[in-house]
Amino acid sequence: MLNTLRLSFSLKNTYRVNSILYSLRQIPLLKSLLPAALYQVRGLKIFANVLSLLWELVSIFLFKALYFLAMVWGLGLLYQNVPSPLSFLHILLFLTLIGSYMNTSLFVPTRDKYYAMILLRMNARSYTLVHYGYALLKTVVGFLPFTLLLGLERGVPLWLCLLLPFCVAGAKLSVAAYSLRDYEKNGSVHKENKLQKLVWLLTGVLLVLAYLPPALGFVLPLAVSAGLFLIWIPAGLVSLRQVVNFRYYREINQELLSQVPTQMDSAKKATKAASEKAISADTSITSQKVGFEYLNELFIQRHRKILWRSSLRIAGICAVLCCGVLLLMELLPEAKANIHQSGMTWLPYFAFILYFINRGTGFTQALFMNCDHSLLTYSFYKQPGSILKLFQIRLREIMKINAVPALVLGVGLVLILYASGGTDNPLNYVVLLASILSMSLFFSIHYLTLYYLLQPYTAGTEMKSGTYRIAMVLTYVVCYLMMDLRLPLLVFGVACIVFCVLYSMVACILVYKFAPQTFRLRT
Amino acid sequence: MNFVIEHLSKRFELKTVLRDIDFTFQEGKIYGLLGRNGAGKTTLFNCLNRDMKADGGTFYLEEDGVRRDVAAEDIGYVLSTPTVPEFLTGREFLKFFLDINRASIQSPKSLDEYFDWMSIAPEDRDKLLKDYSHGMKNKMQMLVNIIAQPKILLLDEPLTSLDVVVAEEMKQLLRSLKDGRITLFSTHILDLALDLCDEIVLLSHGTLEVVEKSNLDDREFKERIIAALKEETYA
Repeated sequence: MLNTLRLSFSLKNTYRVNSILYSLRQIPLLKSLLPAALYQVRGLKIFANVLSLLWELVSIFLFKALYFLAMVWGLGLLYQNVPSPLSFLHILLFLTLIGSYMNTSLFVPTRDKYYAMILLRMNARSYTLVHYGYALLKTVVGFLPFTLLLGLERGVPLWLCLLLPFCVAGAKLSVAAYSLRDYEKNGSVHKENKLQKLVWLLTGVLLVLAYLPPALGFVLPLAVSAGLFLIWIPAGLVSLRQVVNFRYYREINQELLSQVPTQMDSAKKATKAASEKAISADTSITSQKVGFEYLNELFIQRHRKILWRSSLRIAGICAVLCCGVLLLMELLPEAKANIHQSGMTWLPYFAFILYFINRGTGFTQALFMNCDHSLLTYSFYKQPGSILKLFQIRLREIMKINAVPALVLGVGLVLILYASGGTDNPLNYVVLLASILSMSLFFSIHYLTLYYLLQPYTAGTEMKSGTYRIAMVLTYVVCYLMMDLRLPLLVFGVACIVFCVLYSMVACILVYKFAPQTFRLRT
Repeated sequence: MNFVIEHLSKRFELKTVLRDIDFTFQEGKIYGLLGRNGAGKTTLFNCLNRDMKADGGTFYLEEDGVRRDVAAEDIGYVLSTPTVPEFLTGREFLKFFLDINRASIQSPKSLDEYFDWMSIAPEDRDKLLKDYSHGMKNKMQMLVNIIAQPKILLLDEPLTSLDVVVAEEMKQLLRSLKDGRITLFSTHILDLALDLCDEIVLLSHGTLEVVEKSNLDDREFKERIIAALKEETYA
């Protein structure tokens, strides 16, 4: 047993350490600094081991901290009408019941289980018991600080706070023993990743029972909730026998893990299937154009669902929201002053909104998955003239697609500004509309330029560019930070227009200069 | 016409995959490129097709003693996994290709003539390519690569996973196409290489070398090839 423990942890750790080292190699600058024989370097391995250990600690404490702070303690703060210790215990009890079958660790298929028990043929019983024992230990150790800290803060008696983690572990053990007995009797394996509808329904009912009664002023009395918790300790001890003596761990794991090898590339298959699903099967779609315009028109028409339809839907939502604000000012004239002031200073906020509503990433992803991924393997398609011609056409299309919601939003904001009290300087209206449109232009060019300059995918549709990923994250972070920026409309608007126009010019020059070399399949 | 490779080299970090390759391919021949797994066959093709930058060396065409660079349209590259634009029908893909390459295609035929040539049934011609079978996609890919009559045709395991009828059709097609061009055919199937190719070239230790058949019979020739391949220990 001890040997299994040592072997299985060293296997899990090796797998984790190698994943960390692999991830390090994906970071653009580090990639050139790190040696090729990365996995042999002792210093790096020690560093990755430290990270792996930290991750283990995080998995013990951080997730439980989040669970307690958000689901039990945090939401419990909302219920002012019921005694705080009682609402704490009430919520925790029902969530514990859900966790007992939704988070078993015994019935969840994972890669490390697959590697150990199927590929390396380790003894399934010892492996499962060692890991299950460790998972239960993590539950108790991870829960204890939070039941003590937050339970005591909410006024739960100390003795109960100390026993609660054992009750949680007992509940998990009891459900595990029940599921194992069920396998012995009926041969059915409890699969945590494929729960039945009835189980989901039960989860819904338990969630309602956890959160609704306290809102209505009803919670279980202390004696009842304590009793319902403590009962799991003897139940767990009895179940322990069943779990330890169970003889069919290899059989249930074989069934549980049979899907793991196919799951490993199922994400890739799912992306491909989703991309193909986006292609319209409408046979009436044709085009009278020639060459690249012909290719483009068929592409846009056959991808209407993900390009134009969603853009029009977003435009519709923007129109409804703007009308809503206009109506609100009509009904509540006192709101006008606030809205007017927001309108005059909140323009940076719209950078984030436009980031969200633009179709740039959807467009480039569909372009790659359904078009460029295959055509880039043909030499005629990779000629500089072809690449640039198609870039022009595509830029025009994505600008049109993004411009519709931007125009609706821009006109809506102009109307809102006018209706909320207007402005002395009519230039404000012009700048407002122009800046929203230029932001839309920016996102159109930005995503297409990144796609052409960093083309991140391989022929197998695997994304291989760390730089592309970083550029994507940076775009998000900058737009997110814009939300906190409050600047006068005219100042931000003019700066924004100038930036967007300059950026677009630079981006186009870069594409013309470099795309013929960079727009290739990654190898 | 000759296709000449001079001092071509490529390394991935510590591993040298192509080591100063010097080789001359001659017009009208099908070359069977054999090598162990990981020997660098696909890397060689990627470098020749300029999908990957070589570390050094050059390659060019020599026509009537005149040397010229290999242009993109000189090369047709057929991958083992057929890649075709899924959102187009077979007919649309062919029309698009002919639109773009109209200037360079000598005596173009009608779309249906091309489909007939490749034995693609009339009812399949207006289907979306995403609904084509593996073999049909492969035929479309081959068709588009040969219409423009490239001087050099690179084929990376193109007959793998085709049914016997389609594979036989493809072999016939390749034989009929070999005049006037250089065909470089990579495969792991030795019998296929012996059946189809005029010359057997080994990619071993990062270099190319011809295996001379001289006066050996088929069995002895096979043994010589396998013995040569076995020399590359770290495949």
